[in-house]
Amino acid sequence: MGVTDAGNVGGSPVSRFVSVVVPLLLLASLTVVPRVGPGPNIIRLLFVTLTLVTASVGWNLIGGFAGQISFGFAVFYGLGAYTTALSLNGGIPPVIAFSLGAVVAAVASLLIGLPTFRLKGPYFAIATIGVSEAVRVVMMNLPFTGGASGYRIIDKTRFVQSHHYYTALALAALAVGISILVRRSKLGLALIAIREDQDAAADLGVNPFVAKLVVHAFAAALAGAAGGVYARYSLFIDPDGVFAFRNGVAILLMPIIGGVGTIWGPVIGAFVYGLIHEEVVANFPQAHLLIFGSLLILIILFEPGGVVGLFQKFMRSIRARSSVGAHS
Amino acid sequence: MSAVDFLNLFIAAVLLAGVYAAMSVGMTIIYGVMKIVNLAHAGFLMLGAYFVFEAYDRFKIDPLLGVLLAFPVFFFIGMGVHWLLVRRIATSDQPTLTSLLLLFGVWLVLQNLGYLIWGNSDRAILTPRTLSSLEIGPISFPTVRLAVFVVAVASLVGLEFVLHKTWFGRSVRALMQNKEAGQIVGVNVNRTAQIAFGVGIAFAGAAGGLLAMLYSFNPDFGASFQLRAFVIIVLGGLESFGGVAVGSLILALAETFVILILPASYQPAIAFSLLVVALIVLPEGIAGLWAKRRRWA
Amino acid sequence: MSNSSVHPLLQRLVGLLHVLAIAIAVLVLVSPVWAQGADEIKIGVIMPITGREAKPGQYQREGIELAIKQINDGGGILIKSRGKKLPIKEVFYDDGSDQSRSAGMAERAMSSDGVVAVLGGYSTALGEAESVMPDRYQTPWITPGAGATTTFSRGYEFVFGTLSPIDLLGYTTAQYLGTLVDKGKLSKGLKIALALENTDHGVEYGRGIDNWNKEHPGYFNVVFSEKFELGATDFSGLLQKVKNAHADIFLADAHLQDYITMHRQYMQSGMYHQMVSYGARGPEADARKALGAATDYIFAGIWWSSKLAYPQVKKFNEDYQAFTGHAPDSWYPATAYDAMRVLAQAIEHAGSLDKTAIRDQLRKTELKNSILPGQVVRFGKNGQIQGSFVIVQNKPDDKVDIVFPLDAATGESVAPKPKAH
Repeated sequence: MGVTDAGNVGGSPVSRFVSVVVPLLLLASLTVVPRVGPGPNIIRLLFVTLTLVTASVGWNLIGGFAGQISFGFAVFYGLGAYTTALSLNGGIPPVIAFSLGAVVAAVASLLIGLPTFRLKGPYFAIATIGVSEAVRVVMMNLPFTGGASGYRIIDKTRFVQSHHYYTALALAALAVGISILVRRSKLGLALIAIREDQDAAADLGVNPFVAKLVVHAFAAALAGAAGGVYARYSLFIDPDGVFAFRNGVAILLMPIIGGVGTIWGPVIGAFVYGLIHEEVVANFPQAHLLIFGSLLILIILFEPGGVVGLFQKFMRSIRARSSVGAHS
Repeated sequence: MSAVDFLNLFIAAVLLAGVYAAMSVGMTIIYGVMKIVNLAHAGFLMLGAYFVFEAYDRFKIDPLLGVLLAFPVFFFIGMGVHWLLVRRIATSDQPTLTSLLLLFGVWLVLQNLGYLIWGNSDRAILTPRTLSSLEIGPISFPTVRLAVFVVAVASLVGLEFVLHKTWFGRSVRALMQNKEAGQIVGVNVNRTAQIAFGVGIAFAGAAGGLLAMLYSFNPDFGASFQLRAFVIIVLGGLESFGGVAVGSLILALAETFVILILPASYQPAIAFSLLVVALIVLPEGIAGLWAKRRRWA
Repeated sequence: MSNSSVHPLLQRLVGLLHVLAIAIAVLVLVSPVWAQGADEIKIGVIMPITGREAKPGQYQREGIELAIKQINDGGGILIKSRGKKLPIKEVFYDDGSDQSRSAGMAERAMSSDGVVAVLGGYSTALGEAESVMPDRYQTPWITPGAGATTTFSRGYEFVFGTLSPIDLLGYTTAQYLGTLVDKGKLSKGLKIALALENTDHGVEYGRGIDNWNKEHPGYFNVVFSEKFELGATDFSGLLQKVKNAHADIFLADAHLQDYITMHRQYMQSGMYHQMVSYGARGPEADARKALGAATDYIFAGIWWSSKLAYPQVKKFNEDYQAFTGHAPDSWYPATAYDAMRVLAQAIEHAGSLDKTAIRDQLRKTELKNSILPGQVVRFGKNGQIQGSFVIVQNKPDDKVDIVFPLDAATGESVAPKPKAH
């Protein structure tokens, strides 16, 4: 019983109830937050966190479900950001601009995945680093998007923070929805089979290559949309910001902290990362590397299932203690 | 471009290749024995740089001597890291995700350590040697590059000696070829792994010191070199030492000559592009290609 | 995944860590909004004190804090609507030389911390990112460290800067070299090689030089011009190309870190040019320490020098030394110091803490005893001051001389540079 997976906690009606109600409660409370008036800074924090949720959930589709660890998701985030920015400046309405960002990211994921998916484990990870950084350097030099000076969105409309917030919330909810759908579908089963043993899965009739390409496209699309939503908020993007390697690292860290391969792990991880990151960084600059590094080490050594894994162990120990009768 | 200019550039590339090789061989050892991609390599490069810097700044120890000192110091640091962290994760014949992420976490921690101890101003090692150059006819060698090259090559030769003439070295090569068979003939896997890790980190630290003599550095230092190390070992084949030498030369030559036709701001992209191309076209590196040719023969 | 036998205590520790993380997150969510203290003037300061731009950011912060201290020592700023003097409270954020953090901190200061103005943005890159926020939150913003005109050419209404435009820097550099030709120290028709950082800063510097050259044909010839990436560790490729260009004068536009790295490799390659400059970098203590005598005779075009002969500059030097324990490094603290002072003056003239009123005053006010060249700070129509530059040249033994303009000069230009060693 080694599969850590909170999205499929079958079993008792209590846990099924919990797994439906808690997320709905979360969604409801997040929707209400701006009305309660916690101040623009909190909204901003939550906004950024929600974009991180989208990217994190997206990464988890390919990295968690399929087990293909990519260090280079910044490239999709950045492509989405730039595409959206260019579209917005071209007069395209925001929702279409975000979608264009997602599409461009998805196409890029195909271009990247085609040659790299036949690489094994760490080779693939290293290749993703190379691709991400190569794109960053190219973008730094591309005059048409401003190069290293960055690109600015001209937005004449009045700034209403809650609009951006709700967009991010909607996108995050969509991301989680997609995640659940994929997980419950045949594709999801295929991905898990591929993650456990790609060759065996192929023997059983799964086409690993196609499955990975498909889910990679979804993952990239979500990361790209997240980048686009962020771009519209900050109105100024630059290659060293959106394409930064450390962005790709963050997108990877979040699901691992929360519980890689689960539905809610990436969400929890994004909240932990997003909310802590800013506070820690504001007060202890550079210490955030220590904290996340140590957290990563501790997780890898002692609880690879992340927060979700910890929670599941806790639930199991409660259930074990409350059940009557002897067992080994 | 005149022949003299070309020769100067070629020699500069060769000198650079020497340092690159010393920098990458640490990763090769660790990967070969334990199938672990050491993402913390960059962190140890950085620590090595600061080690040599402090030795020079505080104790006036000549940087080259500092580099030689770095070997034993980082050897023990490497063994310590292995004992503390690395031995606790399961390893297999295939590189694991857990090892990748564990060492990545170590890198983040090391970077922060660097910031905490040394702050983030750039440091540089300035000795009389740094700014002088040696002229042989029309060719000029920056003295420091020559010195660094000599030490790098010497350490690689030393490594070859260890690998072929000592019991430890043979254990390492045995494990790299076939772990189970190695165990059957009596190699102590855990012990060898620990020592191999130590050696790998020792090279990382010493190479960091060598690089510190050529470039300025701060706690972020190491990331770009780690990427280069990736390129080199991928080009050379993750487990071959000869491959490391070949890979280093290719990368150094590419960086030195391609930049003449590309705008300077594209320089970082050379390494990355080479990496991606190498991974796609030569998944087993040049050594793999060579091995395949031998098999066909 | 691993299932090694784990000490239960350690496992609980990990669990505790996770809980702690979530607790912090919750605390953040429920933390109260900072209200504007009734009896103080909150001013946001956003500077990099970690990351690539940490050193200049630190110096600018010191300049601002010196000004705040001096104002507060006098009781604060007189606010007519309150009928008394109110002290300044600094709300400081480190942006870590990161653009998105810079923008985020500016937004945070303006939206939740309730500041009446923000001083921030060392370097064009950080300034560009922050400059989106002032108009969004209708809060005045002054940058003492971002000089590219692009920041000021977008029609923003709340954006100001005490750094004169970079293309003027390039122009003044070429102008200085022109005077050396006129004085016979350099020959006419020399070739220039340009290495520009790949940012607006670099582009404008190059443009300034081109402008001067167009107005004065025959003096110089730009034979090589290329952009390089900021923060690179290895400029040997670029320098090889510069070598191949066989120019007489080498002009680069770089940040501090790149200046040090590039010049070291320049020396190692045995290169020589009659005049060498790194744009607005030259006399920095870090560089002189890192490179020693190799930095001698490098000249720089900077926005201020501690060698200016105004009495207020002398006083500033003494105050700064007493406040920070070290002498002012290059120009960094000066533009920040005056940014704070002109802001204080505008607040006083506004007579209230209304941000738009303060902005209106910033558009009109003149800081009369400015320590900057020209002795006055007045913002142009687009929010940027149009001040002047001084050219300084490094002299042996860590000395620096102002060599241009001639009426401010403290020493003679040495041109061409003596050959090294």
